[in-house]
Amino acid sequence: MLIQFTLNGRPVSVEAPAHLTLLTVLRDYFHLTGAKEGCSIGECGTCAVLVDGELVNSCLMLAPKVAARTVLTIEGVSPADGSLSDLQEAFIAYGAVQCGFCTPGMVLAGEALLAQTLTPTREQIRTALAGNLCRCTGYQQIVDAIAAAGAQRKEVN
Amino acid sequence: MAGRQFIGKPARRVDAADKVTGRTRYVADYQLPGMLYARCLRSEWPHAVMTHLDVSPALNVPGVAAVITSADFVDDGRFGFPVRDQYILAHERVRHVGEAIAAVAAETPEAAAAGLHAIRCELEPLPAVFESAQALAPDAPQIGPDRSDGRHPNFLHSEIVRLGDPDRALPQCPVVLDAAYSVAQQEHAYLETEGALAIPTPEGGVVVYASNQSPFINREILASVLGLPADRVRVIQAPVGGSFGGKDDLNYQASAQCAALALKSGRPVRMTFPREESMIASYKRDAMHMRVRLGALPNGDLQVCKFTGRLDSGAYASQSVFTSWRAAVHAMGAYRYEHCHVDIDCVYTNNGYAGAFRGFGNTEVCFAIEQAIDEMADALGQDPLAFRLRNCLRLGDETAFGQRLEESVGLAECLEAVRKASGWDEKRAAYARQPAGPIRRGLGVAAVFHGTSLGAEGADYAASTISVAEDYSIALTSGLTDYGTGAATVFTLIAAEELGTRPERIRLLRPDTNTSLESGPTVASRSTMLGGNAARLAAQNLRQMLDFAAASLLNCPQNRLLRVGEAYIGPSEEPATWERIVDHARSLGLILSAHGRWSAPHIHWDSQAGRGSAYIAYHFGAHVAEVTVDMRTGKTDVTGFWAAHDVGATIFPQGAMGQVYGGVAQGLGYALMEEARYEAGYLQATNFDTYLIPTAKDVPDITCILLEKPYSQGPFGAKNVAEPAMVPAAPAICNAIAHATGRRVRDLPANLERVLLGHALSHSDGGLACKIGLARPR
Repeated sequence: MLIQFTLNGRPVSVEAPAHLTLLTVLRDYFHLTGAKEGCSIGECGTCAVLVDGELVNSCLMLAPKVAARTVLTIEGVSPADGSLSDLQEAFIAYGAVQCGFCTPGMVLAGEALLAQTLTPTREQIRTALAGNLCRCTGYQQIVDAIAAAGAQRKEVN
Repeated sequence: MAGRQFIGKPARRVDAADKVTGRTRYVADYQLPGMLYARCLRSEWPHAVMTHLDVSPALNVPGVAAVITSADFVDDGRFGFPVRDQYILAHERVRHVGEAIAAVAAETPEAAAAGLHAIRCELEPLPAVFESAQALAPDAPQIGPDRSDGRHPNFLHSEIVRLGDPDRALPQCPVVLDAAYSVAQQEHAYLETEGALAIPTPEGGVVVYASNQSPFINREILASVLGLPADRVRVIQAPVGGSFGGKDDLNYQASAQCAALALKSGRPVRMTFPREESMIASYKRDAMHMRVRLGALPNGDLQVCKFTGRLDSGAYASQSVFTSWRAAVHAMGAYRYEHCHVDIDCVYTNNGYAGAFRGFGNTEVCFAIEQAIDEMADALGQDPLAFRLRNCLRLGDETAFGQRLEESVGLAECLEAVRKASGWDEKRAAYARQPAGPIRRGLGVAAVFHGTSLGAEGADYAASTISVAEDYSIALTSGLTDYGTGAATVFTLIAAEELGTRPERIRLLRPDTNTSLESGPTVASRSTMLGGNAARLAAQNLRQMLDFAAASLLNCPQNRLLRVGEAYIGPSEEPATWERIVDHARSLGLILSAHGRWSAPHIHWDSQAGRGSAYIAYHFGAHVAEVTVDMRTGKTDVTGFWAAHDVGATIFPQGAMGQVYGGVAQGLGYALMEEARYEAGYLQATNFDTYLIPTAKDVPDITCILLEKPYSQGPFGAKNVAEPAMVPAAPAICNAIAHATGRRVRDLPANLERVLLGHALSHSDGGLACKIGLARPR
């Protein structure tokens, strides 16, 4: 079936079987491989993307569900000039990246939270990350990075 | 550090920009024209003989391009070191559920699955053993290979440590402890599952991209089982999405399966594992049963340790020979004794096999000894932290196995650091007085020592190449892999420091058996010391050429040269840029290319005597955990954590701290929730809905203290950190639970029922199947 939606700021349409997940369509039809397959059952969050600003596990969402909606993947997070977003910079500065497999989902989970509040408590950040597993970092520097990016945005605003 | 530009200063991880943008491509992200998808048929029985295997029907399935079995490999694809007991694909017998039997490559994953379905495979089940205690019974079915020494074939290996005569000394000790402990298998749970991509070359060879730890070991196995000369096999390290010891054997098997299918079909072949297949097929941390007997004087002086452990290696040996040695060397903990015997035995069973996992034996034995030390302190009526300080190894002491510690010993300082940072004395006193109620709080401590690198396990060396490219950037290689640890950044910072160039000028190329130098395995927290020293020597060798060229250009002796940033300055005080020096060097005919190789000092271990120098240096550390236990449910929350580690020196601070935070989190999972439980050989948790690992909500904010007792042979004094960061976390948490509840959990994991009831509840017998269609035939 024909699915039309907004992907990383651009209107797109794709002809794909209706039973495919959003993750499969993103990876196999749009060749956007930033969203990963980690478990296929919605437990690990490596496939996370934002749909209308909400963090979802794209491995559990059928692609037709995003018709007429906006989807943001990690590939759409950076500014158009190729530089890094403030949150991506914070991930690097605070050492929040190790193997990197969870990182796209973590950045998007951070963006989803910072859209709600720029001054989250550490507990709120941890709750916002609870659906994204990381086996390397122990989460601490990811929490640090999101808190710092929020504080920086607060200051700019 | 005085005068250092980059070492120990905040730095940008060299591969971080690609990772935060999603540009890093892991094996599953690789897509080539004409690429086939591979999948394995796996055993549904824990132990069986293959009575019939006919793969030809698979070739009639539309889309299937090639099928392979053990017959497609030299010597049936047998491999393994030091025990050669594994096969790339099962040969005649299967010894665990999930063992690969045949592999299919097809146009689509669906066609590959249909091809597997068409294979005719008949397995006749054999009697099996699942309890390590029964593995050596005279009538136990044979799992391990034939032995020529008359021992039971299910006996794999044993290691000992010997000091004095504990059997005579123990009964004379006024205070004695005798307790049994056990740890369960643990799943690595790297978020990227296994994968490999093989591409046939026009010369009849193969190029393999693999999510492996040690590309040179992979090449050696590939060349051997494919019957190809080493120069026809090239392994290029793909980015690795987490490993923790877990990306060895299974990735080598997948690499060889893909390579054989690629050679047979003439097309690129990729294999990636769904999570369930990864968990079922992959090796685990070994389960171990341990008994600890300690003897002490009433004043608190430890006298005797007698430690026995039985390690379940599962169906294959993998690394268990080495794991049991590291376990034996560390089993008594970082304490002084008059008498100490350690005996670690490992045996084969028909459980999934055990292999390398962060800590490598020490994580297992530390759980036992560090709880036993606490129980002994209790018996003596002493504070457990003070008791450790009284008995811990210090500079100049001799270990129980007879090694004098001559430098870089920071254990007492680590214990003092966590005592102060955690508010130990005040909190221990306050929690001892807490009113009875459903919510109990507790504080626990554990210490660790952990030998750096391979030690007397084997030849210990690493090598790097370095060269200046046409665009004046610097290409650096290492034979060691950064699978998330930050080693690539460590090597870059070390080379930048030696050369006096910006780290951004250096490009660390990925390990590639055609372009980097063989450096042994990427294991044992050895990258910073071994790989770091190699990078340092390579950079020093390149620096000599650049200094020579600068002195020539600036017309002065080398000792008159100064550096301002990357530029050189001579007596005329006119700076010469990096580019000018490079150009001048080239005009002199110098090839700006160098290499460095570093070998660890030789040490000797006498395995018959159970004594010797085990490792060139030791990491020391101490953890304090604070817990809250709900006495109505058994739920334990870790509410505070303090970790002090003597790393020798810190090269890349965010990376070192990340290792500590991540290690603590893995230890927390090991302590409270993780259990890769086999029931009659069938793994019971096969995805993250049933195999729970800590989330951001489960891990508290951790206070990390890096102490620096420099080691003279380490690069800038650095030792190791990755494994010991995990090792003492679980016993610290269990000691805190005992402090909170007055009850001790001696078997991991300390889940709700063990904390609440003191024992595990029996589970249903409905589990004799794993997902992915591995249902037990009925």
